[in-house]
Amino acid sequence: MTSQQPTVFIVDDEPAIRDSLTLLITQEGIQVHTFENAESFLSSMHPLNCQLKSCIILDVRMPGESGIQLQEALIDRNCLIPIIFLTGYGDIPTSVKAIKTGAFDFLTKPVTRAKLLTCIQAAFLESENRIEANKHNQDILTRLSALTKREHEVMVLAIQGCHNKEIASRLGISHRTVEIHRSNIMHKTGALNLLDLARIAYEGKLDNSS
Amino acid sequence: MAITIMANSFTGLSFEVLFNAMSEAMLLVNDTGHVVLANPVAQDLLGYAESDLVNMTVEQLMPIRYREHHLNYRQTYLNDPRKRAMGKGRNLVLLNRAGQELAVDISLSPIKINHQLYVLATLNSTNKLHQVEDALEASEERLQLAKQAANLGIFDFDFEHNIIHWDNRMQQIWGNSNCSDGTITYEKFTHAIHPKDLAIYQTTFDKATDPSGDGEFHTEFRVIHPDGTICWVATAGQVHFEEGHPSRLLGMARDITPRKTLEEELKIQRAETETLFKQQVAIHTASAIAHELNQPLTAISAYSEVALHVVENDQINNPEIKRALKGCVEQAQRAGQSLHELVDFLQKGEISTEKLNLNKIVMDALRIARSDGYSEFHVQIHLEPHLPTVLANRLHIQKSLVNLLRNAVEAMRTANIAPSAITITVKTLQEKNMAMVTVQDNGPGVEQAIIHQIFEPFFTTKPTGIGMGLSISRTLIEANGGQLWLDPDTKEGAKFHFTLPFAS
Repeated sequence: MTSQQPTVFIVDDEPAIRDSLTLLITQEGIQVHTFENAESFLSSMHPLNCQLKSCIILDVRMPGESGIQLQEALIDRNCLIPIIFLTGYGDIPTSVKAIKTGAFDFLTKPVTRAKLLTCIQAAFLESENRIEANKHNQDILTRLSALTKREHEVMVLAIQGCHNKEIASRLGISHRTVEIHRSNIMHKTGALNLLDLARIAYEGKLDNSS
Repeated sequence: MAITIMANSFTGLSFEVLFNAMSEAMLLVNDTGHVVLANPVAQDLLGYAESDLVNMTVEQLMPIRYREHHLNYRQTYLNDPRKRAMGKGRNLVLLNRAGQELAVDISLSPIKINHQLYVLATLNSTNKLHQVEDALEASEERLQLAKQAANLGIFDFDFEHNIIHWDNRMQQIWGNSNCSDGTITYEKFTHAIHPKDLAIYQTTFDKATDPSGDGEFHTEFRVIHPDGTICWVATAGQVHFEEGHPSRLLGMARDITPRKTLEEELKIQRAETETLFKQQVAIHTASAIAHELNQPLTAISAYSEVALHVVENDQINNPEIKRALKGCVEQAQRAGQSLHELVDFLQKGEISTEKLNLNKIVMDALRIARSDGYSEFHVQIHLEPHLPTVLANRLHIQKSLVNLLRNAVEAMRTANIAPSAITITVKTLQEKNMAMVTVQDNGPGVEQAIIHQIFEPFFTTKPTGIGMGLSISRTLIEANGGQLWLDPDTKEGAKFHFTLPFAS
């Protein structure tokens, strides 16, 4: 499960579906792991999975924990893996909710090979993007966390458009000290200019609040 | 002088002893209207000593305004003296020594002694009668108050004159305000009755006025006011008969519009939820079958495509196998499509949502459950007073709640729990921006073994159940953006929760 090969996780209680879909997907050279219920999938979750280009094919209706509940559990764990829901009939409202809460897509059974494979490829792409974005976020967070408390204060005022003089008087420090702080801030964050700094601070905040 | 004569006339003083012993005030008066004897009670009542009373004329004991009239009356009476009993006697006003007027009821007995006519007058102070009258007045007043409190209108139908006497309240109930004389003709009275209720009114009326019956008149009907307002009226009355004919119908009426409106609402709501439930049963049945067929169809379709792929990739040149496999895929897809269309057809129509006060829905559902015969439980309700509105379909939520209440009652019934109790709690889940409703009973809870099955369609533990209640309730709640689940802790009875998103 820790191999770096793109992987599809199938969570479905029906053995024939797990088996037939596994055959179908592996024919394309994609690695497949199957689980018969939500609980067993969750217990096998490895943090590294989140860094793996992958997607989950999830049955909406299962005895015990439903597909939707598993999705919620994954969201709670900040899991980045895109989820493709497989729905039967009479699950339309459920599907709508799944989409609203961030399911990548949903496919109705019986699904055709063409539709399933297209969807998996799109989900892999999404998976990559999410991993990329996550790395970027991590990077920004690391950079921002290198700032001292005072540097952080100076940065907040600077991106609000305050001049050095104003920052100095507000924080009760000398003009020269502010200049040194600013230079350190630009260096530590790798920002090219004030606008870039504002973007980094903004993205960092976004990540903090989520 | 007179006393001496009298005393001598009655040997042994037995009359006088008797006279003085009487507990009523008595005067013995001669034919000239003079008092000859007064017993102690009379002395007491009038405030005179006997010596003062003797030789006073009875007119002297009256206010001036009555004296002349009484004089005439006395003459007439003496011409034809007969016994006049109390009550049928005269009401007199007497003056006591202090000049206060006393109302007395008087009875007269003529007594002849030695050819001399005397009249024995027994006076009964009507102060007592006044008390009775007061009591009557008070009871009348109480009746009036009760009438007002019950908002009763009174009517009195005089058959002979074809006229109904009615009080103000009755006129109000009929929507009339301009019948100041307090009467109405029977035709006008019945004209106000709603055409659809006229038949039932007439049947009741005919039955009540049938001399062979008990004359009881009870019915409910609608009355149309002149301004078009419709008012539900309940009447109760009694027909009186004279010589085998109805002579009088005395009755009262009450405006029962609020109760009727509530009943109507309840009836409509019940019909609506019933329809919804039937639809949902059909949908769920179809969905459940579709789901069951769908699983193998999905596998068949996928397996066939796998095989087809192998055939194509390995360049096995067998057109029959290819055609057969393609056929398998196509037919499996087609079967799936048909099932889709069927379920779509059953589920057609968007659900309409509105902003709902969940507290009110809880009370409505309780009312419906109770009126459906699930009423034998104590209920504890913990509402959240300022709960924001939720956005949902009223009927869906109501039906789900009624289902949960019915399940709770049935579970407690089966387990013979007494007293059975249900606790309903409504509260806010801050972190999810949702409202949560909890229905808890004090029944045996849900067995661990079946916890995962109770939401499955057609799963039931009841001998007569179809196993759709919880399955449908969950679908309905989920269709409204919420969730319905069983609390894993069932030690103190089954506890179901459901959530619904707030409108804002």
